[in-house]
Amino acid sequence: MNNDIPLNWFLYFAAASFAIGLVGVMLRRNAIAVLMAIEIILNAANVNLVAFWRYGTPAPGSGPLPGVILAILVITVAAAEVAVGIGLILLCYRRWRVADVDRYDTMSG
Amino acid sequence: MASILFLVIAAIGLATALGTVLSRNLVRAGLYLVAFFFAIACLFVLLEAEFLAAIQVLVYIGAVAILLMFGIMLTRDTLGDDTTAIPVGWMIPGLFGGLCVFTVLAVGINNSIAPSGWTPWSGTTSRPSIIKQESDPEPAWVAERREAVNDMGRVIGVELMTRYVVAFELAGLLLTAALVGAIALAHRADSAPKPPRSVEQAAGSGPGADPPSEAGEPVASSLSP
Amino acid sequence: MQLVELNFQTWLRWALWLVVGFAVVFPGIVAYMVWLERKVAARFQDRIGPNRVGPLGLLQPIADAIKLITKENIVPRSADRVVHLLAPILVLTSAFLVMAVVPFGVGLVPVDLPSGLVYLIAVSSMSPLGIFLAGWSSRNKYSLLGAMRAVAQLVSYEVPQILATIPVVLWAGSLSLVTIFDRQLEFGWYVFSPPGLLAFATFLIAGVAEVNRTPFDLPEAESEIIAGYHTEYTGMRFGLFFLAEYLSVFGISCVTTVLFLGGGTPIPFLEFPVDLLGGSTASLALVNLILLAVFLLKVLFFIFVMFWIRATLPRMRVDRLMNFAWKYLVPLSILNVFFAGIWYEMVIRPGGLTFANWLRGTLVTGVLVVAAVYLTFLLNRKLVESKPIDADWPSVAPATESAR
Repeated sequence: MNNDIPLNWFLYFAAASFAIGLVGVMLRRNAIAVLMAIEIILNAANVNLVAFWRYGTPAPGSGPLPGVILAILVITVAAAEVAVGIGLILLCYRRWRVADVDRYDTMSG
Repeated sequence: MASILFLVIAAIGLATALGTVLSRNLVRAGLYLVAFFFAIACLFVLLEAEFLAAIQVLVYIGAVAILLMFGIMLTRDTLGDDTTAIPVGWMIPGLFGGLCVFTVLAVGINNSIAPSGWTPWSGTTSRPSIIKQESDPEPAWVAERREAVNDMGRVIGVELMTRYVVAFELAGLLLTAALVGAIALAHRADSAPKPPRSVEQAAGSGPGADPPSEAGEPVASSLSP
Repeated sequence: MQLVELNFQTWLRWALWLVVGFAVVFPGIVAYMVWLERKVAARFQDRIGPNRVGPLGLLQPIADAIKLITKENIVPRSADRVVHLLAPILVLTSAFLVMAVVPFGVGLVPVDLPSGLVYLIAVSSMSPLGIFLAGWSSRNKYSLLGAMRAVAQLVSYEVPQILATIPVVLWAGSLSLVTIFDRQLEFGWYVFSPPGLLAFATFLIAGVAEVNRTPFDLPEAESEIIAGYHTEYTGMRFGLFFLAEYLSVFGISCVTTVLFLGGGTPIPFLEFPVDLLGGSTASLALVNLILLAVFLLKVLFFIFVMFWIRATLPRMRVDRLMNFAWKYLVPLSILNVFFAGIWYEMVIRPGGLTFANWLRGTLVTGVLVVAAVYLTFLLNRKLVESKPIDADWPSVAPATESAR
């Protein structure tokens, strides 16, 4: 037990992945690349959840697996989001001929 | 031993995340993303949740990555024209912004103020042991957690059906709504797909079976190299 | 930490499995499967098959391997070279990883995961990604079409495959393949029960579709689409795809044997005495030898069945293939879970497998299973009659419309 992995290593990794994903969401102009960066963010959050589940003391009455269940639900929601997102991007592509988020601007101004 | 393994996997994870965000070629970016998902699955195994690792590989690599590849193929500008590259003027501010976010999070992790009675996170250097000791009486949650880690599939099933049943049903509802919504979005308002007029059009329209409207021509012509 | 103890014994076990099993035995089995397929197909077609190279053509796989290795690797000029190489590696990795949880005998399992079945499904869902990348990176219209059809087929047939394993999990009470193997010693092979039979049939059909074998091999068929997603692959890269396909056939046969036919146990309803000569190492080795031999016989039977089907049945058209998956197999599998619950309540819960229990359970669930299959086919025919199946291709007029 002495050479176990400290908790904050997991947290630093999750924070770094989150920051990389956030940079990706802000900088990338292709809509599919933005979706990929969103997936990075969601996975970083999942790592955070499971790390806290394993290393922390559970709240009474929450059962043995709260972190893992929440991570499974996050995976589910992320998969549904990618599916609907791809559908929306395909519609926008049919309308504007490019998958560039800067061109999807008819609601602005 | 576990620390070295974690450092290797974390390095791979961060490198592949950077590859996804910075890569011009979208298919390469998708492949880096698959490697990132795999690194996250390895981290879940290190955290003793291998059922979750299997679900991660199954859902993300087996479904989401394939869906993203289909999306890349159908919105076809992969070889680095203006949309796929990061504009050069944005790179320094983007990097600065990312570093700021990471710094804020890291400071939070390091100097966390803990509620009274709990150790701060930075002080947790090893995970609570759930190995069975006969000597001292263990708190009630340790036995539950040991059973959960040893047979996670069964315990997840029990938990999803008893304690988290509302969340489970809502997730099912969400998935159904997403399914119906995605089909409704992709469905064309005009008639059912007409038969393709030529092999060129058939090859150009792929599985979406675009009717030969004005949308057919650019899609077909974009396939020829 | 709860991880596996990494002492010398574990390293030795893993090294033995890797070097002996995965590097030598499995490719050897695959090479001789190719020989067996050619001989079996030849006999079905009333000819002899390879008999020049070595006695009975037994050195033919070696000649094929030498040919593939020494062929030139041609990559199309505008293809993405890295992805072109990565795709067969992904498919091959997924095929190898399936073999890592199969129990070949008592204690003869490379890794005993508590969630082994979910791991199996996860790694077999990596191969559609490899196939899509192969079709994409070849910069060839026909490869892309073949790849998209292959992905659609693979993803669709994963659903009945997973649903067909749910009765087995319900009856065994665990996701670990070793536990499933053990439980069949007490409760008989899972195939000898109507829901188990339906689940077995569904799993086998979906498994044949998952490995792209005839009748589901439209994505790679030479008369249809010039070999589909591996058109642009030559030499050893094609060899990797070839190896992956036959290894998947072997893998699916192994998994079917473990899930439904009780692994290596020779006699269905009797418990196999594991400590035959007293619990010594020699007795364990003897027992394992028997179990391994019986296991390989069963796997060989399934492989032969797959070769037999290939030599006999024509290829299915892609829309009928998808139709079959979604409209026939998925409803049947979902109903089968319900019937499996009924079987559990009637046979397994009241304490074990006695003849009276089994008879009662078979009668009740047998009627239900037969009714479900009949209803599925009937309802589909009724639905189809209202709209002819060739309605999307009006140039191919169905017989009912030619009278109008």
